[in-house]
Formats: sequence, structure tokens, C-alpha cells
Amino acid sequence: MTTKGPAESSSARHELSAAPPWTLLLRRRELLVTAVIIVVVAASTAAHPYFWSSGNIAFIFADSVVIAFLALGESFVMIGRGIDLSVGAIMGLSAIVVGFRIQDHGMTLLPAVLLGAAVGLVLGFGNGLLVGLVRLPPIIATLGTLSVYSGLEFVVTNGNQVDTIPSSITNLGSNTLLPGIPVILLLTLPFVLIAAFVLRHTTFGRSIYAVGDDAEAAYRAGIPVQRTLFYTYLVSGLLSGLGGVAFLIYTSGASSTTGINDNLTAIAAAIIGGTALTGGVGGAFGAFVGSVFLTVTLTAMSFAHVSDVWQPAGVGILVLLAVVYDSRSRSRRPGGYRGQFRRRRQAPPASPPRAAESTDDQAAGRQTWHQPQEGAR
Amino acid sequence: MTAAPTPAPQVSASLELPRRWRVPAWGLTLLLAIIAELVYFTLTTRQFAGHGTGMLDLSEQFAPTGVLAMGLAMVILTGNIDLSCGASASLAAVLAGTVLEKGGSPTEAILLAVAVSTVFGLFNGVVVAFVRIDSLLVTLATQFIVTSIATSVAGASPPFGFPGAFTLIGQGAVNDIPIALLVFLVIALAVIVTVNYTGLGRSITLIGYNLRAAEYSGIAIRRTLTMVFTLCGAASGVAGVLLAAYYNSGQPDIGTDLLLPGITAVILGGVDIFGGRGRIGEVVLAVLLLGYLGQGMLIEGDSSLSITMITGLVLVGALVVKFSFERNLRQRLDIRLRRLRTLGGPTRDVHG
Repeated sequence: MTTKGPAESSSARHELSAAPPWTLLLRRRELLVTAVIIVVVAASTAAHPYFWSSGNIAFIFADSVVIAFLALGESFVMIGRGIDLSVGAIMGLSAIVVGFRIQDHGMTLLPAVLLGAAVGLVLGFGNGLLVGLVRLPPIIATLGTLSVYSGLEFVVTNGNQVDTIPSSITNLGSNTLLPGIPVILLLTLPFVLIAAFVLRHTTFGRSIYAVGDDAEAAYRAGIPVQRTLFYTYLVSGLLSGLGGVAFLIYTSGASSTTGINDNLTAIAAAIIGGTALTGGVGGAFGAFVGSVFLTVTLTAMSFAHVSDVWQPAGVGILVLLAVVYDSRSRSRRPGGYRGQFRRRRQAPPASPPRAAESTDDQAAGRQTWHQPQEGAR
Repeated sequence: MTAAPTPAPQVSASLELPRRWRVPAWGLTLLLAIIAELVYFTLTTRQFAGHGTGMLDLSEQFAPTGVLAMGLAMVILTGNIDLSCGASASLAAVLAGTVLEKGGSPTEAILLAVAVSTVFGLFNGVVVAFVRIDSLLVTLATQFIVTSIATSVAGASPPFGFPGAFTLIGQGAVNDIPIALLVFLVIALAVIVTVNYTGLGRSITLIGYNLRAAEYSGIAIRRTLTMVFTLCGAASGVAGVLLAAYYNSGQPDIGTDLLLPGITAVILGGVDIFGGRGRIGEVVLAVLLLGYLGQGMLIEGDSSLSITMITGLVLVGALVVKFSFERNLRQRLDIRLRRLRTLGGPTRDVHG
């Protein structure tokens, strides 16, 4: 957890080396979720042996791929303490644009992936401009682009829908390489690995964590805060665009309402995977494991003869559990409300002159008059 | 407050510190936009004005959004958000429909529907205020749960075809003024009074403005937050009832489409998404602006999805303008303050 102070984190490191292995399990969210997945799978298999069959396992992996792409992109944004409500719309738009190319012009897979990525990049660029350059609050900016992009979906389709994708492409979604491992999963994993590498081992990735944890500290450490935020939305758009291609491969169709309901599910998957809305925490593996976990649980629910109607409720309860678990594990952090609420504010880089003047008594006195206006946002 | 210096009067006069009452520039802009829009649609589409009353009739369609926006505005003023209110409205519509279908009276239906969505609002409020989880996450979760409940209650054949006494709420009119519009205006008035003239309203604004200051000044934060979410739940219940009465059916996804327009109206109405600033009256204007924009475009033959797109563009455009304008203003104020500090040097001895 990068959010802790130096003293705390060193003691945490000490504990990590001395504590029994299960402590690590509780600390690393992706491991914890994996453990829960194993428990759910074991329980479901005990009740219904078919759950542990290559067909069902392949279905679970293939079904979680699209959300995995969206959650991956969402993770980048959320680690930087932003939020992207438009990932579903970007995914849908990319699926439609690419789908029509494939259907009407016989586009092959590689150009299709590139086109999907390009569409995602362009749409992500729009988000990035609004947040990084104009500095609109992310939730407002992406709410606006959500409306615009989902409207565009309709304009582009013009009432038609994509429904004839050649089997050479859809086979990727239905074929399995080994029993239980669909081809589409192997196409997804490289992106997860690349995202994990970028987040962990590149300057850009570490900057995202720094900005999300404390934008002002990052600014003072010389990190280009707004530029980093801009790039996170670009990455989110790129991955959502790829998610659109994955959607085409998996479902072999797309319409003007594709992806409308996937925004919140992607956020849910990212949160379950350990990415916090308060920024600075999370990772690529968590996003992937979170989306697999969602699919596993929903499949287990339908195996247990729970009506499909209750699937959203399942997602909701999982989110609630993940979040309550989070706040419990962090309840000792000082600040209380402040930790929960204030961190959503996008802290503007404070102007150095004001800090220098604060030693001046009178300036400090006058500052208290204006602090609510300037300091608060 | 304690160390507040009293600079020489002529200096402070030239400073133009924020006054207590400012010209509601944003509200006037919205008002002008509404007038321009109404004139434009009246001139371009013959059915729009409909001898004056047609324009009023059109408001039936967006009155539910307005009611929802009133509840949301209070939540957003505290710096929180409620993503579940659209789903709550759906649940209320479905419940009201089911009660009517089972032979209940309209009063029973309305009471039950509003009560249940109020309970979900209360749940949101309790979790946000007492468990201290970010409201975005809590209401994201309840949104999923409430959607499931609504779908499950509605079943395979959602209720439709209600008695006239019920549909009157959504379709009827008193002296050419639609009842739905009246409901919206009454609720809007109540919210304006609450936010501006009651202790609860001041608490709401202060919590959003500066939570810490609110905490230190002894405001009952938990109680206020719970109250606000409960009120938002109640508002979405009323919105759901209006929807069911207007469409004469209780589809389980009937209210989902209210959420984004509701948030859009609140934000376009100038309420700061981080809370603490905003005027409810301007939100009402934003509701009218967006509502008539949508209705006008529908009559002109645009689809509802391209209206969504235009709404999004309006929102982003308006906010880009507003933000850059305000940032400019703040920067200018900052420069003046700095100049004043250098000017006001001699007074330091008096207070130091």
C-alpha cells in the first residue's frame, strides 16, 4: 500500500517478512480474490460436478474478457484518483465501427484490432483533454462524454446492427486452445501483463500511483500531474477500444446499445480487484482477477438456480462487501471523514508563493479568510 | 476569523471581496438560454407552442426528471452523489403499478411506492454516514440491488393500464397546468426553502463546502447526511410514481433513464460536484432548459439518443466555459490579494 507514511511502510515490510503467509494473502487483494474464487469454484463443483468441466471453465474465462479490458483501463484512471464513466460507451462505439468494417468490407483481425485501438485512443483523447487540459472534475467530464459517445453510437449505427461476423473471427471466441483455455483469453493475457509491467516498472506507471496518492506531493516531486492524468484517460480509451474488438469476437454482434450497462460493471470489477476510488492503490492483475471473480460468482449463482433477475444484485452485494472490507482494513488511518470524502477532491497544485508567505503573520491571518475558497478546491 | 485584519477602508473597497449577494450570472444565462430556445422552437416547429398550453403540456414528460434532480441536488450539495435514485424511481413505479393491479387504491399505491424508495434512501444514508464509505460506491452497489428487486417484483408481465384517478397525476391538468409540473414546482419550492432558509439547509451546504469546518462547528454530520439521502430516496419515489402515471405502466427499467439527465441538470444548474456551492433555483432552470431542449428536438423528429448526445455536448460546453471563466476570476482575485498584502504592510504592527 503506497498510501502509508515511511515509518508505517517500513514496519509493514518487516511484518511481511516475519508474518505467516496468510497475512500476505490478506494484504494482496488479487491473491485474496483468487482464494475466494477457488472457494466458490470448489463449493459449486461440490454441488454441481459440471461446474468443473472444460466447457464451463472456458465459458467463464471468455465471458470475463470484455469486462477485464474495461476494468483494466478503469484501473489506470482510478489509480490516478479519477473515474471514467465512459468506458462502456467507448467499447460499444469501437465494437460498432470495427464491426461494420468487418461485416461490410471484410476486414481481417489484425487491422480490426488496430482500428479498435485507434477508435479507443481518439475517444480517450477527448476525455483526457477535458480532464487533463481543461481540468474539469473527472466525474463530470466523463459523464458528459458518456452521453456524447452513446449518442454517437446511435448516429454511427443509424438503426442498423452488426450481426454477420465471419466465423474465422468469431471462432477465436468459441475455440479453445487447451481444454478450458479459450483462445480469446490468450489474446487478453498479454495486455494484462503489459499493463501490469507499465504500472509497476515504468516511470509513467509509478507517476500514476504518486499522482493518485497525493497530487500535490507529486507536483512538488516534479511529476507532470495533468499530463499523467491525460495519459491515463488515453490508456483507458485504448483498452476500452480493444475491449470493443473482444466484444465482437466473443458475441459476434453489436448494436447501438452495446456497452451501455458495462460502465458500472467495469468499475465494480476494478473495485473488487482492489483498486480504490481514493487513488494510489490497485493494479492490473487485480482488475483481471476481479472481472473473473464477477463471472465466476454470477455463473455459480445461475448454477444454484438463482434467477437471472438477481444477477445485478449479486454484483451490488459483491461491491458492497469489497468496499466494506476496504474501509475496515483502513479504518485506523487518521482523518475519518476526511479520508473518505476529501480525497475525491482533485487537489490543485498549490502555488509555492502562498506557502512561502504563510510565515508572515498577517498574510496567514488573511489567508484564513480565503482558504475555504482556494484551499478547498 | 480570529486574526481577521481590518485593512484601511479605502483599500478594502477597491478589493471587491466576494459579496454576500451576487448577481446570479449563471441563472440569468440559463434563463436567457431557455427563452432563446422556446422562441426558436416556437418559430421552427408549429406543434411546439400549441396555442401556449402545448408548451406547458410538454413539461409532463420531464417533470419526473426534475423531481429526481431536486433530491439529487441536495445530495450533490453535500459533496456526495446518489447513483441509485434512477433505480429507486423504477422500483417505485413498479410497486405502485403492482399495488394498483392487485386492487389497491391510488393513495395506497403512492404511499407504499414512496415509502419503499425512502427506505432505500435511508439505507444509503446510514451506510454513507455511519460506515463512512464513499457514497459513489455505496449507491453504485444499491443501484444494482434495487434494479434486481424492481425486475423481480415486476415479473414476466409488468403492470400496466391503471385507473384514471392514478394516471391523472401524470397526465391530468388543473387550469391547463399539468399536475406533474405542479408537483415538480411544489417540491422545487420546498427544496429551495429548505436549502436556503433552514438549519438543515445551512448544514447541507457547509458539509459540502468544508467537511472539517462543519465537524468543528458541531454540525450533526451523520444525521444531516442520513436525512439528505433519505430525502433523495423520497424524491426518486415521487419521480417513479409520476413516471408510472405518465406512461400508464410500471416497467422495471422505467426510471433508469432519469439518472443521467438528473445529474446533468444538477451540474448544468451550477451545483459544484464537490459540494458546497450551488443554487437550487438555477437547477430548476437547468431542468426546464434541458427538458424543453429534448422535447423540441423530439418534435422536430430527432431520436432520443441524439438528444442524449446534444445534452452531453451542452453539459461539457457549458462547464468548460464556466470553469475557465471562474478560474480567470479567481486568478484575478489572487493577484489583487497579493497586491493588497504588499500595500497593507504598515497595518501589521497593529495586529501583530
